[in-house]
Amino acid sequence: MTRIVETELEALDGLWESGLGEAYGAYLAGGGRPETALAAALVEVAVRLQGLGGAAASPPDLLRGDLCLARASRLLAQNAGLTQQVAFARTIEDAAAAAAAGRPLPPVRERLLEALAA
Amino acid sequence: MNSGQRLQLTSKRPTEFIDVTPQLREAVAEAGLRTGRIHLQSLHTTLGLAVNENEPLLLADLEAMLKRLVPGDGPFLHDDFTVRTGIREDEPVNGHAHCRTVLLQPALTILVEDGRPVLGRWQSVFAVELDGPRAREVALQLEGDFSSAAPTGIRRLLELELERQLLADPEPVSLPMGRLVAAGGKRVRPLLVLLTAQLGPKSDPLRSATLAAAVELIHTATLVHDDYVDESPRRRGAATVAAEEGPERAIAVGDFYFAKATRLIAELDEPAVTRTIAAALEAICRSQIDDVELRGGYPGDEDSYLRVVRGKTAALMAAACTAGAQLAGAPAEKIERLRRYGELMGVAFQMADDVVDFSESSGKPLGQDVRERVLSLPLIYATEDSASGPEIRRLLAGPLPDEDLKKVVELVAVSGALERVNGEARDLVEAAVRELDGADLDGVRDELVEIAQAVVGRDA
Repeated sequence: MTRIVETELEALDGLWESGLGEAYGAYLAGGGRPETALAAALVEVAVRLQGLGGAAASPPDLLRGDLCLARASRLLAQNAGLTQQVAFARTIEDAAAAAAAGRPLPPVRERLLEALAA
Repeated sequence: MNSGQRLQLTSKRPTEFIDVTPQLREAVAEAGLRTGRIHLQSLHTTLGLAVNENEPLLLADLEAMLKRLVPGDGPFLHDDFTVRTGIREDEPVNGHAHCRTVLLQPALTILVEDGRPVLGRWQSVFAVELDGPRAREVALQLEGDFSSAAPTGIRRLLELELERQLLADPEPVSLPMGRLVAAGGKRVRPLLVLLTAQLGPKSDPLRSATLAAAVELIHTATLVHDDYVDESPRRRGAATVAAEEGPERAIAVGDFYFAKATRLIAELDEPAVTRTIAAALEAICRSQIDDVELRGGYPGDEDSYLRVVRGKTAALMAAACTAGAQLAGAPAEKIERLRRYGELMGVAFQMADDVVDFSESSGKPLGQDVRERVLSLPLIYATEDSASGPEIRRLLAGPLPDEDLKKVVELVAVSGALERVNGEARDLVEAAVRELDGADLDGVRDELVEIAQAVVGRDA
């Protein structure tokens, strides 16, 4: 685990082992820098944690998902350019809109990998 | 005179008491009416007006009384289509509703003092649906002395920008969010953006409006998620998104507008602004987790309370002031003063909000925060009181049925905790206003002071 990951996991205990670590590795391999790869992994985990497109998350999981999204937003604000920030936000907007409409979610990982390459 | 306004209401039941008090407060605040009158007039023959207590069982009593005085099965000549002439094809059978309406009032006048409708502790203003469900309108006129500092122009700009942003969004998310936005809210955070965004050489009303709308969308998105977490049935006088459309939709709506708001801010292409709001968003989410975790040790202590409030409420207030000034290119020293002003006011705002939970006329069920075990400074102080504290702690240790909740609310009131919290909130507002002293605020100082002072002493 890199130093950036260690400092950014505060209040998100257990998420690394339950998918965040795997997602981070995938985004890092997909060309992301540690900060932006972690942001992408946090977004992906948040979507899953909050049950977007499925059954609603429990309140604690919803709040942890919110923290994942907020932390990803802050990491992007500090480390990514405008194009990447917008692409990340659009991915979440599209996933949330699909969930609200009862449609299948767009492929989040694919979209975030595209965003990292933008 | 401020004329031409219409309250748009949608009833959901044949007979329904719709509490319009929050909308009246909002209309008064938006118009900047300080002293005067609100005139309301029903525009329908089966919609009456009334002033009474918003207590569910009493409303059921009133509904039963109307039905007892005017039974629904009549008979009514108005419903005898064999003898009536000139009836429409879709003429409703509603003689009972017309007759019940004359038992109520078609028009009301409510006094306004110190910028607020004058209502007693137990009074709420109702539009009373007697032939629903339907879309309804109530005409509204305001007259009296309007504040010269009321920023009506920028408020209008904000409302237009919010409408514009929602128009572009998919209906499954924009409709629930639109209802919540239209139901009112104090708009304190976006107003702070719009005012502080006038304080630098790069001031631009349209870019400021976008930032202000984005900040309001973030705030509203947090409310949508909070209401699910807290299992709150009502917000701003209407059902919450989670209660109305289910938790899945509520989560999606909140996520959509978190993301959209951060995109709108990023597209302003001012990295400092983006970082300010992103940091505030993280502070809010972090403190929400703390808030829920601390409910295990309810009612908690003052230090925990302040830590949560700085994140939950003050962070976005401070960020709104900071980001507005950053967008305008204000100097660093001025930005820092505004940040401190926003933070102090944010803490005061939450304290005042806690006190409102113990007010009958808030538009929310009395003691809702206590019922949901949300951290509350009056409750913390009341449990420290030697006379009331032990009994409050005993009651809080139980399941808190309605009669116990009522007792807790009464004990908090007699403990002096409400006065103590109000006093501390006023001190914080004074400190916030002192931060503005000495800074060149280009004509918006009065409005910033007015917003800060309105934070305390409110009842909604």
